[in-house]
Amino acid sequence: MIKVNHLKKSFGKNVVLKDINEEFNQGEVVVVIGPSGSGKSTFLRCLNLLEEPTDGEVVFEGTALTGLKEKDLNELRQKMGMVFQQFNLFPHKTAQENLTIAPVKSKGVSQASAERKAVDLLNQVGLGDKVAAYPASLSGGQQQRVAIARALAMDPDVMLFDEPTSALDPEMVGEVLKVMKDLAQSGMTMVVVTHEMGFAREVADRVLFMDDGYIVEQGTPEHIFTQPTHERTQDFLAKVL
Amino acid sequence: MKKSVYVVLTLLLVLTGLFIPSEEVAAEDGAALKRVQDEGVLVVGTSADFPPFEFYAEVDGERQVVGMDMMIAQKIADDLGVDLEIQDIGFDSLLPALEARNVDIVIAGMTPTAERRKSVDFSEIYFKTFQNIMIRAEDKDVYTSIESLKGLPIGVQSGSLQEGLAEQIEDAELMSLTSLSDLLLALKTNRIEAMVMQGPNAEAHAGNDEDLFTFVGEFEMEDDDAGSAVAFRQGEDSLVTAVNESLAEIAEQNLTDDYLVVAGEYMVQSETDEDGEEVETGFASDYWQYFWDGTKITLLISAVSVFFGLILGAILALMRLSKTALFRFFATAYIEFVRGTPMLIQVMFIYFASGMFFNLPALTAGIIAVSLNSGAYIAEIIRSGLNSVDKGQEEAARSLGMGKNDALRHIIFPQALKNIWPALGNEFITIIKESSIVSVIGVGELIFQTRVVRSISFQGILPLFITMMVYFVLTFSLTKLLNFYEGRMNHD
Ligand SMILES: Nc1ncnc2c1ncn2[C@@H]1O[C@H](COP(=O)(O)OP(=O)(O)O)[C@@H](O)[C@H]1O
Ligand SMILES: [Mg+2]
Repeated sequence: MIKVNHLKKSFGKNVVLKDINEEFNQGEVVVVIGPSGSGKSTFLRCLNLLEEPTDGEVVFEGTALTGLKEKDLNELRQKMGMVFQQFNLFPHKTAQENLTIAPVKSKGVSQASAERKAVDLLNQVGLGDKVAAYPASLSGGQQQRVAIARALAMDPDVMLFDEPTSALDPEMVGEVLKVMKDLAQSGMTMVVVTHEMGFAREVADRVLFMDDGYIVEQGTPEHIFTQPTHERTQDFLAKVL
Repeated sequence: MKKSVYVVLTLLLVLTGLFIPSEEVAAEDGAALKRVQDEGVLVVGTSADFPPFEFYAEVDGERQVVGMDMMIAQKIADDLGVDLEIQDIGFDSLLPALEARNVDIVIAGMTPTAERRKSVDFSEIYFKTFQNIMIRAEDKDVYTSIESLKGLPIGVQSGSLQEGLAEQIEDAELMSLTSLSDLLLALKTNRIEAMVMQGPNAEAHAGNDEDLFTFVGEFEMEDDDAGSAVAFRQGEDSLVTAVNESLAEIAEQNLTDDYLVVAGEYMVQSETDEDGEEVETGFASDYWQYFWDGTKITLLISAVSVFFGLILGAILALMRLSKTALFRFFATAYIEFVRGTPMLIQVMFIYFASGMFFNLPALTAGIIAVSLNSGAYIAEIIRSGLNSVDKGQEEAARSLGMGKNDALRHIIFPQALKNIWPALGNEFITIIKESSIVSVIGVGELIFQTRVVRSISFQGILPLFITMMVYFVLTFSLTKLLNFYEGRMNHD
């Protein structure tokens, strides 16, 4: 579904992604772990071209995103949902409006059907009673669930998560992870950057360990968590587990 | 930044070159006269706060500039076989307006001093006059001659003939103001002890105000200084000749005497309005129309300017945030330039400079100038507003596949608007107040009308107070209205 060939990314002189080759398949849940500053977010953001790769290519459903025209890129982005660490809900819009604005304005969905779908999705993430609430009146966990629903409102083929629980108070982490687990079980293709090792173990089909701009090691959760072959993976896991 | 400084300076030099008048004044053979006759209208510039020569009065229920000079203007227009159009402009701006072709000739009780002759031509003198000293009535036994004013604070209209004459008062401390009304107020409030004023004008005021007293001052004058003449652009000899013919007829038949009588009647009319019991309650009812007209124009200028300022500001802000260096550069240069120059000069520049190429009505020129000015300030407000919206908002919108424009319109801009609302409101209030600057080019907004009321009512302070109140009511209601909408935008 997504194929990454020789992806490189630098910010000025700072080379953040050095040479990444990876493939994500339909229905797969992949968790990306690694120390802070290793380039996980940058990698994820290169997948939907929020960051322009310096070199290499990203192919999504057979189309190379790199070098696409703005308009075509926007259409493909509609099929790649993204959830941010800081939620990034639109504060001037209600929960429902957060879910309807993009489908209506960019996908040409009718207002009425977008609204119906928004209510369904908010119910699905357990926020059926917050349809008319503004983000500022919601807790962090609730906001992040609205943000997930917002991405789902575009009917994406893949969902990208960048540390979706890192900004949450501990008691709210569970409710967000639960929504993500349900999503994984429904067969959604997911790429998740997270420090929640429990989630990785339980839900991931594959775990990637990134360090210093490379994917150093990858494998099933069992392999990565019980018998990592690489020294840097061992060091990292020793610190976080 | 360095580069932009350089380019702005170059731009300035080019512009300056464009507007420096060429020294060579081409000899003409009837072109100026023909132009006026072809257009069928003679545009006369004046400064209508100078009774009995030019001042406002109600004529058949309509407010008009009347007075001796205006009757002379009418006679000249009649002799030329064209219509007369009068433009009321501040005295200081009359000669610039003439040179910039905003008006054809100037008739404003203007004395053809040697200084003025350097930049314009004059007709024969059409009215010989004398110069007076104006004092408070209570001082009339103390100040009886020029000598008795030695060392005292003396008021004169800036740029006037009287400014030069006042130097003849030994050790006098001169106070120069543009407006005669302000000077009279200064006299009545003891800020100055006396004024030097044109004779009939001083008599008109003293006759209408029992607190004032005037007498003829024995100044030494050159012949030329002793009268009023019509001013022309240099080189328009055919027009000068034609006007001189009319003036000769006026002199022959002694028409100025008749004109002064008629002008006196208009002044009496405004005097009786102040008579009897009406004085207490009458002021507002007599003059409210002036304030109302001025308020309407002020609101019109402000609203239209804010509207165009917002559009221009949004465009400039987007240009400043654009990826194209040329756009960024142009917007930055524009904003820096407008913010770095006084609005007064911008207004005068647009009005007078445009007059060199085509005829732009003063109100339009004023609105354009204020819009161009506020556009620069609003651009900076909008830019800071767009920058104040968290980067994550745009990323979220783009990640949902929204195009740049949709993201800007539906996500970024509404949030920016909420952030900059107070600053925008401030700008609107500033425009309401600062738009008064366009009164220098004769736009009849509130300050201009206040000047008119002060000159025809012979009242100094009351009109100022009323105007202050009007401004306050305008800005205060606007503040309340803006707060109301700010509350509605708030979802936190
Ligand atoms: N927009 C940016 N501009 C400059 N440097 C950046 C930018 N984004 C990330 N970086 C740098 O790239 C490196 C990797 O960052 P990031 O991908 O956020 O790491 P991670 O998500 O693994 O913590 C860091 O050194 C960071 O400072
Ligand atoms: Mg990160």
